Amino acid sequence: MTLPDYHFISAPLWLVTALHLLTLTLHLAAMSCLLGGTLIALWTGARKAWPAPDAAGFARVLPAATAATVSLGVAPLLFLQLVYPRQVYAATIVSGWFWLAVIGAVITAYYAFYRTSFQAHRTGRVSLGLLALAALGLLYTSLVYSSVFALAEQPALLRALYAKDQSGWVWNPAAGAYGLRWLHMVLGALTVGGFFVSVLGRKSPAMAATGRAAFVGGMAAAAAVGFLYLISLDADLGAYMRTPAMPVLVVSLALSLAALHFHAKKHFGLSGLCLFLSVFGMVYMRHVLRLVRLQGSFDLAAWRVAPQWSPFLLFLVCFLLMLGVLVWMAKLFFRPDEDVTEA
Amino acid sequence: MHYPFWDQPIGYGVLMAVIAVFHVFVSHFAIGGGLYLVVNEHLARRDGDMARLAFLEKLSKFFAMVTLVAGALTGVGIWFVIGLLAPAATEALIHNYVWGWATEWTFFVVEIAAAMLYFYGWKRLTAKAHLTLGWIYFGAAWLSLAVINGILTFMLTPGRWLVTGDFWQGFFNPTYWPSLVLRTGVCVMLAGLYALLVASRLEAGDFKARTVRQAAGWAVVGLAVTALAQAWYWKAIPAAVTARALETMPTPVRAIVLSLWLAAALGAGVLALVVLAPRRFGTAAALAFMALGMAWFGAFEWSRESLRKPYILAGYMYGNGAEVAQTATYQREGFLPQITFRTGDDGADLFRHACRSCHTLDGYKALRPALAGADRAYLVALVQGAHLLRGNMPPFLGTPREAELIADHLYQRTDHRSLAEIYRIDGLALGRRAYDLRCGKCHAVGTASDKAKSLAGQSAEDLSGMLDMASSLGEGMPAYTGDAAERKALVAYLQTLGQGGKP
Ligand code: HEC
Ligand code: HEC
Repeated sequence: MTLPDYHFISAPLWLVTALHLLTLTLHLAAMSCLLGGTLIALWTGARKAWPAPDAAGFARVLPAATAATVSLGVAPLLFLQLVYPRQVYAATIVSGWFWLAVIGAVITAYYAFYRTSFQAHRTGRVSLGLLALAALGLLYTSLVYSSVFALAEQPALLRALYAKDQSGWVWNPAAGAYGLRWLHMVLGALTVGGFFVSVLGRKSPAMAATGRAAFVGGMAAAAAVGFLYLISLDADLGAYMRTPAMPVLVVSLALSLAALHFHAKKHFGLSGLCLFLSVFGMVYMRHVLRLVRLQGSFDLAAWRVAPQWSPFLLFLVCFLLMLGVLVWMAKLFFRPDEDVTEA
Repeated sequence: MHYPFWDQPIGYGVLMAVIAVFHVFVSHFAIGGGLYLVVNEHLARRDGDMARLAFLEKLSKFFAMVTLVAGALTGVGIWFVIGLLAPAATEALIHNYVWGWATEWTFFVVEIAAAMLYFYGWKRLTAKAHLTLGWIYFGAAWLSLAVINGILTFMLTPGRWLVTGDFWQGFFNPTYWPSLVLRTGVCVMLAGLYALLVASRLEAGDFKARTVRQAAGWAVVGLAVTALAQAWYWKAIPAAVTARALETMPTPVRAIVLSLWLAAALGAGVLALVVLAPRRFGTAAALAFMALGMAWFGAFEWSRESLRKPYILAGYMYGNGAEVAQTATYQREGFLPQITFRTGDDGADLFRHACRSCHTLDGYKALRPALAGADRAYLVALVQGAHLLRGNMPPFLGTPREAELIADHLYQRTDHRSLAEIYRIDGLALGRRAYDLRCGKCHAVGTASDKAKSLAGQSAEDLSGMLDMASSLGEGMPAYTGDAAERKALVAYLQTLGQGGKP
């Protein structure tokens, strides 16, 4: 009896890649609102720059943003593991304890957000200590993700590290390969977080102002660091330049500027769309860089494709239903209701 | 074997159990609790029962905290852990079931969103809208169970999938339906037990009595559904698997029996309570019921995991990640060429990939103490005969040379003085030790491979002669390589076996 072979991808690669990049963009957008928003709230909180009711109102959004970040993170990790299992599992195993600690860090951040939000609801004040704790959890998580996924792109390093230490206590030492990248992501989060704050606080001058400042400043800083990161690629830069990533970079930059422009004109919807698309561009560039880095050890086209159309169709239907139900529930919840008092 | 091995001291079984047990309780509770909330909200609104509504609102806060945070994140945690502990199996599952998981994810997102809006919507929403959100929450949560259940049951009973590789045949496998009914029953039972716990803290009075009675009803109905489904489940597992379990693995079978007793105790206790003292029902009793319920469900999950041995994906992949389909390749070329991440110490690499996912040296399923006093030749025989040992282990599929490398690795780490020296014993005590080390690992007393009967009534000379030709007694039966003092004590001990093991 020949047993079924599991080395296959159950949908055309372009489809899986598209879903991967789309869901990752959604995850990063939510994550950026959360992380950027938290950092901004900490910064303004320390300077008492927001009126207490605004700060408390903002704190009450954070648990939901955490829920969105976590839920939206599941899908891209699934698709990542589907296409790059050899690289991803290997890197997570070598850094096993740090990787596992992410769960603890996120649970801590989550509860800290809930506590802050309940406290803010009861007392009207935001606990900076709890916010800082949550921010620490999120920063740790983001740093682990950057370092582990960078390690996944360096098979030779991965092997050498494992040969020396199998305990799962290995932290990726090649900080050059992910330090700037991580910083770029955090600054990107600050940018998106700034946008988020300015839109949520559009009726509050103080909030709108900090949001705007973080949006503009974060974007400038993120661009500068992103540029440095690009240069730091040295050996891979040549190959990278010849990929479609370069035109995408130009378009993404233009989209970012457009986002600023529309934001200044108070066209928040358009601005948000441009920002989302530019994040998508960044996600795409990241994807191309991974392929460049893995050249020689991994070939995407080598996957055997054996589509499972009926389960895929089920997923697609459920995915659309999910979108429909989410929109419908949000409408139900946020419509100005007759017998609404206060939540 | 394409992956590095996470060599951590805690032991894979323990780490997995800690996270899985927690998640399994929380996630079933999340589903049952959702149902409990909406059904009761419906009743309370119909009857205009404000006390109950207030009670439910309070309940929903704890509930939201537990399910939204702990439930969701331990779920992600399990996923992280299986990727670390069993990357090959996780990879195989994801390749076959990615669309199952992706579908589950859509339910998960709806579930989380609905739970939040439900929780924040008590005052904000109309009664009808609030109830609708509650039902959406419950529906999505249950559907995500229905999807995961397909993948979980696949691991034990892949059914026709092994031949066809068909998604749906693996998904709707022989234990899919019984397991789904069983888990649904568990959800209802846990919700009832939890409501009992909360109700136990209410002030004595009519409201408390009503709440306790109703919660007890949930617990008993859930339990009854579960118990019936468990019998169905057991029947749905291929007879060969259950028969082998009864023969070689007394432990999980005992766990099943134990779990039935726990279920009976729980049911009887809850019923007695409803009849006797709903008003005075205290927290201690509620906690005891909760503990019983969890112990019962834990025993079930444990027996399910054990039944799957030696596989992680039944008939397809062994617990250590070795693939059944690759058997011929392993036997021809060995494990080493398949191990992608090497450390330079072949014995250690082989040990990790062949044995270490189930064993540690000193902690969980520790080998150092179990092998104290063994000589190298015997260790080689044990590695090569791994599938003959108790515990239903995977066969060692590598080459004879590799078995020696593993044996050497173990030999360097174990105490190889004589048993008499290590434990400072002699006589029958030494004989019993010798039996544990040299015979009992394969011929565990009370199992199908117990040799007490065939040894009964033999003289010391006969027994000693039998030890001389031990390696010819059966395929995989090792030669006797212990020293003279040990042999004498062993023979004396073997003579007692015919008398039921009592000297
Ligand atoms: C799939 C999991 C698994 C793998 C892989 C595995 N074992 Fe085991 N092993 C078990 C279980 C379960 C037991 C029973 C333990 C018990 O009864 O406490 C056991 C028992 C043993 C025992 C007897 C221990 C005692 O306390 O007497 C030895 C020796 C042993 N295994 C050696 C090995 C060696 C050597 C390897 C690698 C070639 C290996 N095992 C691989 C699961 C496994
Ligand atoms: C590595 C596993 C293993 C160990 C250790 C082992 N045996 Fe066996 N033994 C077997 C196998 C396999 C057979 C053949 C199949 C069978 O009869 O169960 C066997 C057969 C036998 C038989 C003959 C079959 C019969 O039913 O009459 C006897 C007697 C026996 N073993 C006794 C012992 C004694 C005594 C020891 C300890 C010195 C021992 N075995 C250690 C695996 C083992």
